[in-house]
Parts: sequence; structure tokens; C-alpha cells
Amino acid sequence: VTDLLNGAALVAYGAAVAVLALSFVREVRGLSRIGTGLFAAGVVLHAGALADYVREWGELPLVGLGPSLTSLGFLLGLAALLSVTIGRAGPLGLVLVPLVAALQAGSLAAGVRPSGEAGEFQGGWFVLHVVLAFSGYVGLTVAFAAGLMYVLQFRELKSKRFGAIFRFFPPLDTLDRVGRLGLAAGFGFLTLALLVGAAWSARFGGALPSRNPDIIWGVLTWVVLAGALAARTGKGRRGHRGAVASVVGFVVVIATYLLLRIHGDPAGGFL
Amino acid sequence: MSLAILGLSHRTASIETRERVAFGRAEVPGVLASLLEDGAAAEAVVVSTCNRTEFCVSGGDERRAVQVLRALLSRRAGTTPDALDPQLYLRRDRDAARHLFRVAAGLESMVLGEPQIQGQVREAYAVAREIVGARGSAVGPVLNRAFQSALCVGGRVRSETGIGAGAASVATAAVELAKKIYGTLRGRRALVLGAGEMSEATLELLRGEGVRSTLVANRTFERAREVAERLGARAVRFEDAIVALREVDIVVASTAAPHPVLTWERVRQVLPDGAPRPLCILDLAVPRDVEPAVGELDNVFLYNVDDLQQVVGATLGRREAELPRAEAIVEESVEEFWAWYASLTVVPTIRDLRSSGDAVRRGELDRFLRRMPHLSDADRGQIEAMTRAMLNKLLHTPTVRLRQAAGNGRGTSTLDTVRYLFELDQPSPVAGGSPEDEALDTCEEY
Repeated sequence: VTDLLNGAALVAYGAAVAVLALSFVREVRGLSRIGTGLFAAGVVLHAGALADYVREWGELPLVGLGPSLTSLGFLLGLAALLSVTIGRAGPLGLVLVPLVAALQAGSLAAGVRPSGEAGEFQGGWFVLHVVLAFSGYVGLTVAFAAGLMYVLQFRELKSKRFGAIFRFFPPLDTLDRVGRLGLAAGFGFLTLALLVGAAWSARFGGALPSRNPDIIWGVLTWVVLAGALAARTGKGRRGHRGAVASVVGFVVVIATYLLLRIHGDPAGGFL
Repeated sequence: MSLAILGLSHRTASIETRERVAFGRAEVPGVLASLLEDGAAAEAVVVSTCNRTEFCVSGGDERRAVQVLRALLSRRAGTTPDALDPQLYLRRDRDAARHLFRVAAGLESMVLGEPQIQGQVREAYAVAREIVGARGSAVGPVLNRAFQSALCVGGRVRSETGIGAGAASVATAAVELAKKIYGTLRGRRALVLGAGEMSEATLELLRGEGVRSTLVANRTFERAREVAERLGARAVRFEDAIVALREVDIVVASTAAPHPVLTWERVRQVLPDGAPRPLCILDLAVPRDVEPAVGELDNVFLYNVDDLQQVVGATLGRREAELPRAEAIVEESVEEFWAWYASLTVVPTIRDLRSSGDAVRRGELDRFLRRMPHLSDADRGQIEAMTRAMLNKLLHTPTVRLRQAAGNGRGTSTLDTVRYLFELDQPSPVAGGSPEDEALDTCEEY
């Protein structure tokens, strides 16, 4: 049932991506609402899949590549839904929904099964650490999506090109607000995740080695988030600087992840 | 029964004529009441805006209605009916319904898809509904249905197509651009340079969008104060306006100066590091009020009239592209309306046919039952039910076919044949239930 629900969620995400892309290309806002509806259906199916995973395996899907990716995808899906609905930034789905679909596809390719990790990867502190860390990454991803759209919309407005991006993308102020929230929330969650992670590793056998890819990636992401927030301070185009920093930071974080994954121990517990 | 629209619009008449024939809200009841009392029309609504004055009438004597309305409009236009005729148009029946639906959808508007006309049609309908003359309400079954359908069509066209999307005038394009930067304009501050008509129009739009504080600067301070007082803004001296650039979000420049009043040098002095937050400058003046180099400053978004025209042009282009979809909705609704409207004309014949058949049935039944006195009440009831069922079955197909014939335009000849064959020679009045009953509300209110 878990695989079936995960597959159905992926289909709904894929359909949402197609409809949202069509709504942008053909500039039909009604299609955008249909795309958001499909996406919401995908999130509901995804939640069902996660619940069924917990029922079947008796643990949260947080350890191993497949389970981690699907959980991260679900949290990103929730954040995307909030941005699209409450944040009144519907077109943000154009960037976020494909990312959610890609995470879900990656998780299904890797297999959503428990990895049989040691018992210490099951406790409450570990769960809290991972959920906070994932929330931090989700914050950065939302900031990236808003930042990318901000940069493109800023360029359209400055160069007086009034094409599809001008018409379809949200106003600069909305994108700036969503990006700022993403960065602030991401930074807060990741800071807490690092603190909880440090306490958790001290509890189980002292400090973790500094070459641990989880730690390298987590700390780098925290630095990126801090840098992007810092870029928003000072005079002048704070929104634009913050947007560029979010985009560049996200790319750095993803590139670092891929490098760590390629050069790291494939059997390790790294996401 | 008939449906007709007589009037003139921006497509047929000059603005001078349109101004003269336009009816104020207070004049409408008197005009419609006299039209109804005269017997020229059984129902009437007048849609009068700056771009059109149209009388929509139904029932009564159509020829007389046209005469009365031609005389009325030409009198107001200060000319003779014959001289006004080239500017008038008359649409009948299906064409009249199509025209009304197109008007409500904004397809006949000067700016394609403009939204105000929907409210104006709604207002015209509401005003006419309030009028109750000696012969009843100004709006009966036909116009009730026609106007409710028209409002439905207008709503559908706007929600299902992009015909009303985007900015279609320089002033609305200016607001749309500002909103693409700030999202909502609620609480934003604006500075208006110049106190001409364009400045006033844009300022009004900005205030309508929630712009909180507005400064008006003009070469002559008195004129600035006059405009500021009228629009609830604050007047400032021109030299102080430059300094205010640090505090405002939006600048609307529309002076009559022959050279730029906001030069790069002057703005640079006030904003040496660029604007502290996004600054939207809308230069509506020709020749331009703002040097193009100002737009290169950090955080400054500068747009001139050509840029705004570009936005308007793109909007109108997209609206034109939506026209076929909008017209398909109109046509679909015209067919629906016409099917209903045509069915009204067959109702009296169907009613006569059924009552004639029933009279024959009852006569024959009475004769038969008189010859069979031994039958019990139960048996008599059974026989009566059987004869009624036979009559219903016999008349079912002719009834359906009559309605179909009316819907596809063959109603009159078929009706004549039926009336001849069944000797339904006594003319009967056209069906007309209560307006509310007949005007079925078949789609949600937009």
C-alpha cells in the first residue's frame, strides 16, 4: 500500500507540474488553480503513504536515502502548499512542485524501505534532529524558489520587458516576503537541528568525526542560510541581494551534497 | 411577442450625440413608464452609459416602439429622426439577444473586455425592475430572462477567458506596474509632480488602491494646493518634492515642462546610494519629465508613457486573442436563450391542443358512461384514467415536436398547421407567467 500511495502521489505531482507549466505557457490562471488542486491531492496521498510506512514498519521514514527523500519531499510539499495558498504566491509552485516531484521520484528509485540502521537512529532526539534539519533545508528551498523568481521578475521590471514572467510571476514584495520567511525559518530550524544533533551525538559515543558528511553538509547549509540573511541587511537592494544569495546558496548546497554523495561512503547513513 | 434593441453607441455615434442622448438614472423611470403606458412595449429597459444608449423592449407594438424611441432620441440629440437614423441600430429577436449578451460581456465596449459595463447593465436592469406602471412592471418574463442570461454570460466570459485580464489604459497600466513591485499599494506613499488631468486620474486610481499619503507638487503652488485639497492629498513646493524622493514609494510625473524636471544630477544628490527601498517612477509626461538615466539608479524602476503603452498594447493583444472563446460562450448562451424564448410562442398552442383534446375526451367519456349505468365508481375511475393516459400518450410526441420546431426556427409554419388541423382557430394570448417564474435563474450570480 505504501508503494501504491507513493506512486499515486508521484503521479499527482507529475500531473500538477504539467498543468502548472501549461498554465504559465498559455497564461491561463484557471489551469493554475487546477494544478494547485492536483498538487494538494499529491500531498494528501503522500501523507497517506508516510502514515502507512509508519504502520507497516513501526518507525518514521527518516533513515536511509529513499525514506529520507520521501520525508523531505513531503515537508517541502507542505511548505509549498502553505506558500501557494496562505502566502498568496501561487506561481511559486512552478519551481517548488517540480522539486517535490523530483524528490519523490528519487525516493521511489532508491526504494522506500527501512535501512536497518542501528537502534540509536530511532530515538526521539534523533527524530527531532532530522525533522528540524529537514525543515531547515525546506526553508532554504522555499527561499531559493522565491529568490529565483524575484531575480527574474526584477530583471523584467528593470529592463521593461512585460512578457509572461511579468504577468505571471508574483510581485517583488510578495516574493521578498516569502523568501525572507523561508530564510528565517530555515536558519532557525537548522540552528536547532545542529544543537540537537550535537547533544544527540554526545549522548551516543562522544563527538562525531568532523569529516562526517552529515555534519559537513548541515554546517555548510547553516552558513549559507546565515550568509543569505546577512546579505539582506544594509542599504540599497536588500531584497535583490537576499534573492541572489538564496539562489547561489541553494546551488552551493546541492552541489556540495552531490560531491559528498559521490565521494562519500555509499553504505553510510548520509541522506 | 418580440425582442428588440434600438440605440446608438461609440461605434455609430459621435461623443457629442452620445452625450446628448444619455439618460441619467433619475430620468429612466419616467421614460420607461411613458413607453409602457403608450402600449409601445410591454417590457423595457434602457442601458445608458457614456458609450451607449440602448433601449431593450419586448412585447407591445414593436413598430410603434421604434417610432416613439426614434422620436425621443432625435429630440434629445437636437435633430430629426431621419438625420439620426444613420447613427441608430435596430437588432431584433436572436440578434437582439446576441447584442445584449455581447454588451454585457464587454465585447461591444470601446476597450475590449472592460469590466464596468457588467455593472452598468446590472444597474439598468435593477432600475427597470423597480418601475411598476399602470400596466405592470417594466421587466416581464422576456427581459428578466434576457438580462439575467446577459449577466451570466458577462460573468462566464470574464471568468472563463482572459478577456478582462491586464491593464487596458495608461493609468491602469501605471497602477499594474506599481503593484508588480509592491504587491498591494495599501499604505504606500506617493508623490505627484504636476497637477494636470493625467496626474489627477492616476492619483485617484492610486488612492483607490489604498495609497495612504500623497504629496502633490506643481510649478504653481496654488494649483497644487487646489488639486491636493480635492483629492485629500498634501501640497508641497516643487523644490521640496525632490527631497521627498527619499520617503515615497511611487512618483507620478506629469508636468507640462518642456525639459526633464527630475534629472540624474538632482536625483543623485538626494539618493546618492540609490533608493533605500524600491522606488517606482511613472513618467506620464510628453516631453518626458524624468531623465532616462535616473532609471539606472539602484532600486529605481522608471517607466515612461511608451512603456505603459507597451503594457496596454500587450493586454489588448491578449484580449483580442481571447475573442473567439468569448464569442463561443455568447453563441452558446444565445442558443439557450433562444430555445427558451421560442418555446414561449408554442405554449398557447400546446395549451389549446391539450384542452381541445381533453374536451373531446371528456365528452366521449360522459356519453359512454351514461350508456353504462351499471359500472361501479371504481370501474368508472379506471376508465377515466385510461382515457387520460391515452390522450397524454397521443399528445406527447406532438408537444415535444412543437417545442423542437419552435427552437429550430420552424415554429410559425408548424404552429399554423397544427392550429388548422385541430381547429384551434381562436387566437390565444401569448403565455406569460409571472416574471420571477419565467425567468429561470439557471446560472449562478457572477
